[in-house]
Amino acid sequence: MNPKWPLKMLAGVGMCLSAGMVMAGTMSTVGISERAKRLHFSSLVIDTHDDTTQRFLDSGFDLGSRNALGSIDIPRMRQGGLGAIFFAIWMPSKITGPVAVKRALNQIDAVHEQVRRHPNDLEFVTTADGIREAHRKGKIAALMGVEGGHLIARDLSVLRTYAALGARYMTLTHTGNVEWADASTDNPVHNGLTDFGKEVVREMNRLGMMVDVSHVSDKTFADVLEVSRAPVFASHSSCRAICDALRNMTDEMIRALAAKGGVIQINYHVGFLSQEFRNAEKAHPEWDKAIALEVQKRCGEKEGCQLIEGDQITREYVLRGDLPRVDWTKIIEHIDHAVKVAGIDHVGLGSDFDGANMPFGMEDATKLPQITEALLEKGYSEDDVRKILGENTLRVMAEVERVSHELNATK
Amino acid sequence: MRQVRISVLACLLAAGFFLSQVATGDDIADRARKLHFSSIVLDTHDDTTQRFFLKDFDLGKRNPDGSIDIPRMREGGMNAIFFSIWIDGRIMGPPAVQKALDQIDLVHQNVIKYSKDLAFCRTAEEVRQAHSQGKIAVLIGVEGGHMMGNDLHVLRVFGDLGVRYMTLTHFYNDEWADSSTAKPEHNGLTDFGKQVVREMNRQGIMVDISHVSDKTFYDALEVSKAPLIASHSSCRALCNHVRDMSDDMIRALAAKGGVIQINYEKSFIDQAYKDAQDKLSGGVVGMMDQIRKECGDDPECTEKKMSDMEKQAVAEGKLPHVSWERIIDHIDHAVKVGGIDHVGLGSDFDGANMPEGMEDCTHLPQITEALMRKGYSDEDIRKILGENLLRVMEANERVSREMQAAQ
Repeated sequence: MNPKWPLKMLAGVGMCLSAGMVMAGTMSTVGISERAKRLHFSSLVIDTHDDTTQRFLDSGFDLGSRNALGSIDIPRMRQGGLGAIFFAIWMPSKITGPVAVKRALNQIDAVHEQVRRHPNDLEFVTTADGIREAHRKGKIAALMGVEGGHLIARDLSVLRTYAALGARYMTLTHTGNVEWADASTDNPVHNGLTDFGKEVVREMNRLGMMVDVSHVSDKTFADVLEVSRAPVFASHSSCRAICDALRNMTDEMIRALAAKGGVIQINYHVGFLSQEFRNAEKAHPEWDKAIALEVQKRCGEKEGCQLIEGDQITREYVLRGDLPRVDWTKIIEHIDHAVKVAGIDHVGLGSDFDGANMPFGMEDATKLPQITEALLEKGYSEDDVRKILGENTLRVMAEVERVSHELNATK
Repeated sequence: MRQVRISVLACLLAAGFFLSQVATGDDIADRARKLHFSSIVLDTHDDTTQRFFLKDFDLGKRNPDGSIDIPRMREGGMNAIFFSIWIDGRIMGPPAVQKALDQIDLVHQNVIKYSKDLAFCRTAEEVRQAHSQGKIAVLIGVEGGHMMGNDLHVLRVFGDLGVRYMTLTHFYNDEWADSSTAKPEHNGLTDFGKQVVREMNRQGIMVDISHVSDKTFYDALEVSKAPLIASHSSCRALCNHVRDMSDDMIRALAAKGGVIQINYEKSFIDQAYKDAQDKLSGGVVGMMDQIRKECGDDPECTEKKMSDMEKQAVAEGKLPHVSWERIIDHIDHAVKVGGIDHVGLGSDFDGANMPEGMEDCTHLPQITEALMRKGYSDEDIRKILGENLLRVMEANERVSREMQAAQ
């Protein structure tokens, strides 16, 4: 995510909100046309970025039952027609070295454990064909992405280990620079990618791991695009032309990404969707601090809790009228803009569920059919909608796999 | 003249006798070669992994030193090998985990690099398949519970990465089990240690009791739902070393279906050598400590130092010569105590001092021939060479499937 709040909430408010969410959840396909339902539930809907992994390590969380909080669990994925999900392996940028590696293994194993615990609903896959096969069997395809190059501890063996354990993308940085790449939200120190960073990208190409340019600096992005032999993707970024956040991509970047066959997966975080929200946040930095403090109070160091509560507390500010309310339709604006800039083959979905602040009407995975409905209403063809829902991502994955086979064959 | 004739006759008789002896000898040697090169010859413990970090080492080429590389495995008919993942037992926590991952990756990278000769295997069935395709089966064992960072997630990840056994300790106690070569502090396995054993059962990772204290051994034997292995231990009745197993232990291991894989290290197979070494350097742990002081973490230096120190001591007569035939004594003793189904080979190549005549894996056919000469049947020899271990692997796979299905 993004904010990835450094914080727990007043029990009363939490209960009210969650009650509201449950109601909204059960009503999510109400008002969706038959055509949209048919299209949505027959399509492969892929989300390339979900921070639910953090919750796996909190005691008591079970992906198999409907949870009052957060956005993702099996019942809600089923209800929202989410067919494939990339669980993010993430920790704050400040955690590095062997400690980061061991923690990453804990999260990777936690993902595998969830899949082992729910064999009738989930299937762990690592390829585009694997996703299609799981979908045919009526299972949700579970995948993994590593969010942040700091997790490899400057060690290509560790990168290869993550690939061997099934990770299929790595975001080169999170919010802070890593030893070999600059982040968009840190002071540049490497002028993009270092030589070792380029080696990382090439090794990812060889391993068949998608190179994820969300979070990286513009210069890092440009370097990656030059070095990578396979299309690259942004697992959870939106359009800077609509909301001027460094975490979003400029039109020029989107075009360059598309020219190399890549895809931008639109992030639903309100601070990346809405300029108005962003401005309000900027005007009141003290709220950000207050929210962070409250998150800390409620969660301590428990990341899973922090992410969920960060979203909840921000929502309280909106309900109080301090921060502007951002509607889920903003997501459609970003999708549409990216399609206009880069073409229909280069846009997909990377929600950032359970790791960011969701707009109103997109509280959880049950709301996804709205996206299909809205795109159809906008005049998108069924084929085009399918591309955005998942086919574009599958094409990039398949291409990355092809390049990997090629590179390994010529070794 | 008569005398001459008699002596000529005697000579002829002797020559004839000699010739027939040679013919018989050739016959056994020939049969042994055929048997050896048609069998799965599986070694459960090789420290060659450390050599993967050396600048000049290449697994695909015949190396002038060490005991293992592809050409020599081919020549010695060794067609299944467990590469050991090992770091000093005093390194613990996250740094130990990362170092273990580095080594596991190096094993995989070597398999990728030499995919014409090597096949990475996770099951007994895969080992058999590799063998039928003429490839060397590569497997991984983690030598020491200290590498899992006291964390069951990491243990499971090891399993996912293809690790098929874990030795519960190395020379030092880890957080949850006592070693045979350290002061006991846990009275065997702690509660968490027992959880580790059960999780290994669930993951199909064989529990290796080489290196552990006798109490840890008996605790593991009681807790484990699957047969255990001693990946590289010999017989204490023949050489009184704590790293070896007593007859009682061998019997108990066998009664639960397990297998003892005989270690070729001189100080584990020869009492005179062990006694002399104890006097000289305070035993194998003492020797390793001394080397560590001089070499730190440098594997190249460690290897050279170990070998040099040992060779010099033997040359100076401070350590006695040990023949490879002691290995056969240990195999034979273990078979007598545990039964033919419970003994195998766990050389410790590239991690120990090899006896004379077993300098590297090209010498392995000698074992087959020696056992044949001792009167072992072809079937029995195949069991020792690899079938026993494969049976234990299969039993572990079955227990793993059952435990996962019962969840």
